[in-house]
Amino acid sequence: MIQYIIRRMLQFIPVLLAVTIFTFTLVRIIPGGPFDRIGDKTLPPEIRANLEAKYHMDEPVWQQYLRYMWNLLHLDLGPSLKFRTQTVNDIIGGALPVSAQLGVLSMALAVVIGLPSGIIAALYRNTPIDYGATFLAIFFRSVPNIVLGPVLILIFALKLGWLPVARWETPAHWVLPVVTLGTAYSAGIARLTRGSLLEVMGEDYIRTARAKGLREAVVIGRHALKNALIPVVTYLGPVLAAVVTGTFVVETIFGIPGLGRHFVDSVNNRDYPLVMGTALTYALLLVSANLFVDITYAWLDPRIRYE
Amino acid sequence: MLNKKWSIALVVAVIGSIVLSACAQPTPEVIEKEITKIVEREGETVIETAIVTEVVEVTQEPTPAPEKPVTLNWNLSTEPPQVDPALSTDTTSVQVDEMLFLGLTDFDDETSEVIPELATEWESNEEGTVWTFHMRDDVPWVKHNPATGETNVIEDEDGNPVMVTAQDVENAVKRTLNPETGSDYAYVLYIIEGALDYNTGEETDPETVGVTALDDYTVEFTLRQPAGYFPGIASMWVCRPVYQPAIDEWGARWIEPGFIVTNGPYVMDSWAHQDSMVLVKNPHFYDADSVQIERIENVMITAASTAMALYENNELDSVAPPLEEMDRIREDPQLSEELYIAPDLCTYYYGFTNNKPPFDDPLVRRAFSAAIDRVSLIENVTKGGQLPANTFAPEGIFGNVAGDPDIAPWALDPEMGAEMAKEWLAEAGYPDGEGFPTITLMHNTSEGHRAIAEAIGSMWSSTLNVDIEIQNQEWGVYLDTIEKTTPLAEMAHVWRLGWCADYADQNNWVHEVFNCEEGANRLRRNCVDETCSSVEPSEFDELTADAGKLTDQDQRAEMYREAERILSEEEAAYAPIYYYTTVRLNKPWLNRTYQALGGQHWDKWTIDWEAKLAATQ
Repeated sequence: MIQYIIRRMLQFIPVLLAVTIFTFTLVRIIPGGPFDRIGDKTLPPEIRANLEAKYHMDEPVWQQYLRYMWNLLHLDLGPSLKFRTQTVNDIIGGALPVSAQLGVLSMALAVVIGLPSGIIAALYRNTPIDYGATFLAIFFRSVPNIVLGPVLILIFALKLGWLPVARWETPAHWVLPVVTLGTAYSAGIARLTRGSLLEVMGEDYIRTARAKGLREAVVIGRHALKNALIPVVTYLGPVLAAVVTGTFVVETIFGIPGLGRHFVDSVNNRDYPLVMGTALTYALLLVSANLFVDITYAWLDPRIRYE
Repeated sequence: MLNKKWSIALVVAVIGSIVLSACAQPTPEVIEKEITKIVEREGETVIETAIVTEVVEVTQEPTPAPEKPVTLNWNLSTEPPQVDPALSTDTTSVQVDEMLFLGLTDFDDETSEVIPELATEWESNEEGTVWTFHMRDDVPWVKHNPATGETNVIEDEDGNPVMVTAQDVENAVKRTLNPETGSDYAYVLYIIEGALDYNTGEETDPETVGVTALDDYTVEFTLRQPAGYFPGIASMWVCRPVYQPAIDEWGARWIEPGFIVTNGPYVMDSWAHQDSMVLVKNPHFYDADSVQIERIENVMITAASTAMALYENNELDSVAPPLEEMDRIREDPQLSEELYIAPDLCTYYYGFTNNKPPFDDPLVRRAFSAAIDRVSLIENVTKGGQLPANTFAPEGIFGNVAGDPDIAPWALDPEMGAEMAKEWLAEAGYPDGEGFPTITLMHNTSEGHRAIAEAIGSMWSSTLNVDIEIQNQEWGVYLDTIEKTTPLAEMAHVWRLGWCADYADQNNWVHEVFNCEEGANRLRRNCVDETCSSVEPSEFDELTADAGKLTDQDQRAEMYREAERILSEEEAAYAPIYYYTTVRLNKPWLNRTYQALGGQHWDKWTIDWEAKLAATQ
């Protein structure tokens, strides 16, 4: 197992290297550069030249790439071209923990709501309970964050005054964004759990378990559910990587200083190092999440072995 | 492989702890408050972050806190990207600069006229090429300690206060122009003798730049050509004195709280990047007695609807309301009272590509400009009380002729406009749009610009009976596309752009934007070839170039008037659409001014503190 993990982690290196090459090239292919303009105004060529020299962008591209990779080896993601008094390390270091907190709490909520309702829906298949759960799941899946967020603010912050409107300070501030983000994913989890559990319930080994005379709760809990979780975990891994690195809409609506906005803004600003930094962070979390999912497989299904 | 039972126990434990933490959120009785402050530790070059955790009982009776300082709650909207005055380019950074650093001059809140700040008076030689500023001698450099809350005057080795001097101004100008500083806005200083050469590295000796401290409190600028508008330039953040020892000590981080040394009405108490910034009153400011607001708590909320919700919850004292809320605000008895619309020094316009047929014909351009019903556009689409524009520079800019009924009157009268537009298009050879090619109208991607483009496009189709194709591009790509070097075939016939004042003078407007030789000339006026490799200046270009060099202000104003007439009416080289307004909602307890240039003057505002406390508790 340990060997397998090490081998997989070594495979990260070429993947991340490819990410740097693609991102580095792509952001430079988009027309427009980081020093073209101030608002509506175009910067004079003299000024552009100064800035390009300052940030080594007057060098040949391959040299810029090598410089970037050299700094990356020293864990230095470079300066931000937009927030010039901060480095990309500063920005990601400040924003990622906030996004991660929001992401983990939201996914926790999603699992806590999604799993049980999926199980219940499967057990009470084709009853009003199942239909009710299906309706709720489709409802929360269909209402986009950009609608749910402001509606929750309107009801719980402005009308009832129970919770703060926005920002990320106390646990009370966490509730609305976590609910906004979590419910959408809980719906997905519920549907997956229901479908997968129903499928597993038809398997031979479930019949065997029942034939052994096990109680239904044990059959479901120990044998069916564990196996049924495989598609759910497969789904959760990449989703977790995505929400932990920030969600643009929820962070914007609730004024949360997370990483999500940087994914979008850095491209608009042509802030090359920040684009690279956010892409690398996401890539690293994604490959890690996938590895974690694969390890979990072995744990959930005794038939899967990594040698 | 892990033991099965253990693994199940682990799952239960993990999920259980997650459930608990999720359930623990909505308990409102006790609030844990984390205050992250950046404190300075001697001898260390790293920012230290101290986390203070306090537990507050919120269920307690709200006790009036008389010691709570008079506080303004403001939304900066975004993280200020570059607070260093030499590097600032955006309104948010400039707003922060305005409160931390004094300029030689400033602008009047009412009239936008240049008024004294660090300099109490100034004069020029007869030609307007040498400007001498006489500075006040009572402005100390101060440093605020966020850990103790104290603001102290910087002292020299002998214990004397270090004052802001003419030498600081000279150093600051040279620092901005130093190519290694990498200042975007350095180019506005190119009017200073030797500035261009030093900034481009042609000349490496900073002594060649025409700025000299004559004595401790007198600074002299030598310009490369006369500029009657120079006192306005002297107000800009790129000329503001900064404290070099702090920059030497901390590098790029010198603008962080605890490191930064300033001289303005406020000092920086905390700055949580991307989230919040607190400024507190500088007790050593020369005019501190007249500053009422003691503390400014800024948040950085991007979403206008969220900022609006915070405002309605009394968490902000002022807000820029979202466009979609305007109808509700106007109908609401309370909100409509709080609504304030002030003119702003920006203009929204459509540029015509002047050398792309059929827009190479002034009659066609005039027809398109006249066919825009600006009144209906503002009433039904933009809704922010903007003012229909018939010229380029809005009121408040020296030399403006905004709203002058003798210049392009058809732009202000939709009925007359539509009628004349048809006539001109017929005169150009396209009666009722017959034979007129489909033209492209381009804007940068944005809901607002799209709505305006669709409205104007339909006005053109219905009035002139022509076909319009609307395209949009992402901002960075768009600005590249509308460069005058883009091949004509790829260039749109019409494209949108806006312009906002750097300083309140027509030189910054008609000259810098439209002059075919010295301005940006995206309109491609007077180009000899498709991509404007050279130009043949006409009367307008001579007028704006000459007017910038004169010191006789009446004569300058007259020349700019004629330039505007040629540009907006005779050539109709572009279509002015509207003058921007600042739309704000302000709480009744806030007594404020509006500054259209540079940044709001929070030091001149007041708050009815009892009224605010009563409403927020």
